[in-house]
Amino acid sequence: MFQSFRLSMAWLHTWFGLVLGFVLMVVFFFGSLSVFDREIDRWALPDSRFAPQPMPSFDRVLKPAFERMQPAKDAVALLDGRVDGPIPERFDTVRRWGAYTTHRDPVVAVFAGYAVPRAKDPDETVFAIHALDPRDGAVLPEGQLRIGSQFFYPLHYSLNLNWKDLGTWIVGFSALMMLAALVSGVVMHRKIFREFFTFRRDKSTQRSALDLHNLTGVVALPFHFFFAFTGLVIFAGIYFPVSHTQLHALHELSEKIEARETGLPHERAGVGAPLASVDAMVAEAQRRWAAKGMAGDVGYIGVEHVGDANAYVSVYRAGTDRVALTGEGIHFKASTGELLREDPPRTAVDSVNEFLTGLHLQHFRHWLLRWLYVLGGLLGCVCIATGFVFFVEKRKRQHAKAGSPGSRMVDALAVTTVTGMLIATTAMLVANRLLSDALPDKGDWEKTVFWSAWALALLHAFARNGAVALGRLSPAWREQCFFAAGGAVAAVVANALTTGDHLGRTLAAGYWPVAGVDLSLLALAAGALLAARRLGRGAPAAAPRPTPAAMAEASNG
Amino acid sequence: MADPWLLLAGAAVATLIGFAWLALGMEVHWTQVHGARPAGPTTAATTVPTRRLRLLGAAALAVSLALCLGADHPSMAVLVWLMLLAGSAVAVAMTLSTRPHWLRWCWPARA
Repeated sequence: MFQSFRLSMAWLHTWFGLVLGFVLMVVFFFGSLSVFDREIDRWALPDSRFAPQPMPSFDRVLKPAFERMQPAKDAVALLDGRVDGPIPERFDTVRRWGAYTTHRDPVVAVFAGYAVPRAKDPDETVFAIHALDPRDGAVLPEGQLRIGSQFFYPLHYSLNLNWKDLGTWIVGFSALMMLAALVSGVVMHRKIFREFFTFRRDKSTQRSALDLHNLTGVVALPFHFFFAFTGLVIFAGIYFPVSHTQLHALHELSEKIEARETGLPHERAGVGAPLASVDAMVAEAQRRWAAKGMAGDVGYIGVEHVGDANAYVSVYRAGTDRVALTGEGIHFKASTGELLREDPPRTAVDSVNEFLTGLHLQHFRHWLLRWLYVLGGLLGCVCIATGFVFFVEKRKRQHAKAGSPGSRMVDALAVTTVTGMLIATTAMLVANRLLSDALPDKGDWEKTVFWSAWALALLHAFARNGAVALGRLSPAWREQCFFAAGGAVAAVVANALTTGDHLGRTLAAGYWPVAGVDLSLLALAAGALLAARRLGRGAPAAAPRPTPAAMAEASNG
Repeated sequence: MADPWLLLAGAAVATLIGFAWLALGMEVHWTQVHGARPAGPTTAATTVPTRRLRLLGAAALAVSLALCLGADHPSMAVLVWLMLLAGSAVAVAMTLSTRPHWLRWCWPARA
């Protein structure tokens, strides 16, 4: 089919890179934003703009909050058809309580899972999930979207297409093909070392785009490779769901054997029992970690089989001091506080798995590495964007001659994916600041603004790209750069006006979550304006507008 | 133990200088920085000290890894180092394409 291995690799790289590049661009960009998802949450929810807190007292703060919780109406509505008889009004059998925090969270994520009486699947669980203010135990109002961790972050791995996990499958397939694109890219590249530092910015757009594509692809190759790979490892359970499908019986058995070995009960006893002081258990866990020379911040507290004689409490460490998602969990009998089990040191396989997932999920405390991850993600974006530009530059003149719409379509889609995505993001942040907090479904409105802005960017890109059919640069690139810059500045101004947290104040107070988002938005605006200026220089404004006759001539070749 | 931030700053500087040296060890970039060699017979003063630059460049990158290891747990240090390499390589490439004369500072040569 192909004359050489290199040519077949080039075919693979070009076409898979083009089609999946649109997906990967979204994955890379929102992945970069997700590095600072908690900080974006602070920006989006002014109520939560206070310093990160340690895990609050379970007995005084968390327990009363858990006892007040009930599943949300929309979660209950999903039970329709899964229960024999009517859906209960209240849920009283609590399977588990969990509270989770990190060193970047002022609010604690709390959830409660309830057994569903008469459910068709005996394991059916309905959840109540809240963000809780650890200072007073108040839960934050529902309907307010934590834009960073509840929208940008899932967008990164699922495109927010939740129907049958479709988005997760698309992203997974793209990550797999990205590994292939990296390998084929290395095979195609004739001069990896000789052109390692090469960026000829004064040559043709085609040449400099390819230089930039190679540069950003090669220098960040370890990053690209490891993040695509570890992303697949994290979702291995979805891509190979053996343990909950073919091997369901075996999985249950293994859980029971594990329960017997660890002494942690797998089932409820059916006999009620009170809960002893969890704070005392936490103190004991911290004493044990300290004895091993480990940092003792609590990351997760869970109570299993709440209210039952078989209930047990698990306390996990927040693994801020290393990459691996460690826990060093310590488990206690809930009714007495007696120590049941201390997790043994991890096996080699577990260590590798935890390093790989921890590397990607980054719960560690290391601000430099966080920013370097953002840099890696943005280098990936540049790599994909310049790949699009190269694809179009290489073909647009031939296509113009042949009257083929191919490069014109690709260019419009590239504009939409690259600059349109920035416009959608900044529009969402502006909407977040301008919409009233009293709006009951404010989060849904913000999502609507995001997708609408992106759809408008698509229309604009297609409406303005006639120039590509003439073998020239689409003005949509430049115009959308202006829109994105405008949106970013508007978001910073709106934040200052609606909350009073302008840069003068946040910088003086050293409140970096909000100051950092504002500064990044301004950096985005500056970058977009610079790009617009350069694009303007490339295509002189004085160029005569193409007349219909010229266009017909061009398309007839 | 020295301040981790100081070690990391040192590591960043070491990767930058290391890549600058590796780039200067290549004829084409040497010419970008120092101008074309004068015509005439090649002498010790006009050849590019490729070997020395490459060795020094590799050594600087190794020093940077050592500094990263001094600052963090090894699992984290490796990640920091790999990402510093990526960032510095881009920085050197961008310097070469806009302000190549800045790299003269890394390896002054007799004009």
